[in-house]
Amino acid sequence: MSDTTPIDLGLGILDHQLIDSEGRRCGKVDDLELEGGADSEPRVAAILTGPGAWRGRGRIGALLARLARGRTVRVPWSEVEGVEAGVRLRKPAAELRLGRGDRRAEAWIEKLPGASLE
Amino acid sequence: MKNIFGIALGILAAIGGFVDIGDIVFNVEAGATFGYQLLWAVVIGVGGIITYAEMCGRVAAVSERAVFDAVRERLGFGVGFVALVSGQLVNLLTIAAEIGGIAIVLQLLSGLPYRALLVLAVIGLAIVLWLLPFGWIERLFGYGGLALLVFAVAAVKLNPDWGEVAHGFVPSTGSGSLAVYGYFVVGLIGAATIPYEVYFYSSGAVEERWRPKDLGMNKANAIIGYCLGGFLSFALMISAGALLLPHGISAEFLGTVALVAQAPLGEIGLLLALIGILFAVSGAAIDSGFSGAYNVAQFFGWEWGKYRKHAGAPQFTIAWFVMLVLGFLIVVTGVDPVLVTEVSVIFSVVALPLTYIPIFLVANDRAYMGRYRNGRLANAFGGFYLVVIAIIAVAAIPLMILSNMGQG
Repeated sequence: MSDTTPIDLGLGILDHQLIDSEGRRCGKVDDLELEGGADSEPRVAAILTGPGAWRGRGRIGALLARLARGRTVRVPWSEVEGVEAGVRLRKPAAELRLGRGDRRAEAWIEKLPGASLE
Repeated sequence: MKNIFGIALGILAAIGGFVDIGDIVFNVEAGATFGYQLLWAVVIGVGGIITYAEMCGRVAAVSERAVFDAVRERLGFGVGFVALVSGQLVNLLTIAAEIGGIAIVLQLLSGLPYRALLVLAVIGLAIVLWLLPFGWIERLFGYGGLALLVFAVAAVKLNPDWGEVAHGFVPSTGSGSLAVYGYFVVGLIGAATIPYEVYFYSSGAVEERWRPKDLGMNKANAIIGYCLGGFLSFALMISAGALLLPHGISAEFLGTVALVAQAPLGEIGLLLALIGILFAVSGAAIDSGFSGAYNVAQFFGWEWGKYRKHAGAPQFTIAWFVMLVLGFLIVVTGVDPVLVTEVSVIFSVVALPLTYIPIFLVANDRAYMGRYRNGRLANAFGGFYLVVIAIIAVAAIPLMILSNMGQG
């Protein structure tokens, strides 16, 4: 993505919707992984998503992360196509190991008659 | 044509979303207790829902975000989660109350046992949601709910003192117990601004892919739709005030509401009233169930939308089904649906700030909204209503206790 528009990480990326290359919603930006630090400019290395990533989100996040016992999926920043209404990714959700809950539930719902109705 | 369908969406939101069991219960009880004195509170409530529905519709059209996208982005994970839980509790109580309302109306129509009809109601709703496309659901319940207009005819036929009615539009402290009066003020404003309406409205706008060119339609929807809902609320309160108050009849049963139309209009009035209530309450059950599914999906980032196939948004599909089942489990315990209604409205008032504040913040955000952010008018109304909401949120529970839930 272009480096010209500044984005406020707290308000502009954190907690935003992830959208895969096929336009499907596939999680939220639950946390960010920064690299660099004291002597260099910090930059976003990856988006962290999934229940494991709630650990860093205050007491409620930590509690829910422990209850959900889910994993953290790391999406390297290089997989980000652009940031608009949501964070658009370059690949389909499955390739990035995202949207697993929806895929699992789909396997169940698909078996019901009329599952392809609106 | 698209505009006409857009307006129809507003009518559904008005009847199914606006006039629901909360409005029916609070307007008729207020009329039975205080006559026309509280009409002004309905005006305040309708103004609030118009202001915030317009705002969240605009946010949806411009920034492509529904309410719980905004809630999470603005309040963060922790506070956002508190907003989610409180919103879901209210949604659940609301859907429970609506399902109970459906069963009561079916019982009045058929004489069959209440619990069997609860089962029938929830199965009926699930089948409708599974089989019918959204447009059909909209039209079915939107137009069916228009039978409630019978209360407007009833109000005129009951020949109220129109001077007194006009007086009711001027805010006053009312006669009688201040705590009971205050309880009804909170209840009437709360019933009008109940948050599932904005969840549903904004999510629908994102699903329909509204864009800035649709902002005129958004404004028309919000104003026409909710004014029509407000008009029906007036009709309910005026007819209850004209009939029930002079006879000293209280309105703690939903059946009493139908009597308000039967007394002046006979059997046909009764039938139309019951049909109108049935469709309005069913539509509201669907809206509040969907709202629960929208909220949880938006908070956790799942795929969502009634416009997707069921298997295309599977966790969302499961979520609305779970909402229906949990709502059913609450009322099948035998708890009085009218009581559940009142509790849901009062608790929704407490939870209201967590819904409206993030909408207000996002609607003012230049980065999200650009030149479509709130103008002076929207901010004047929006700010005014934040104050109103803060006051009634603080007052709601004390007034509920002090007034013994309006019983005095």
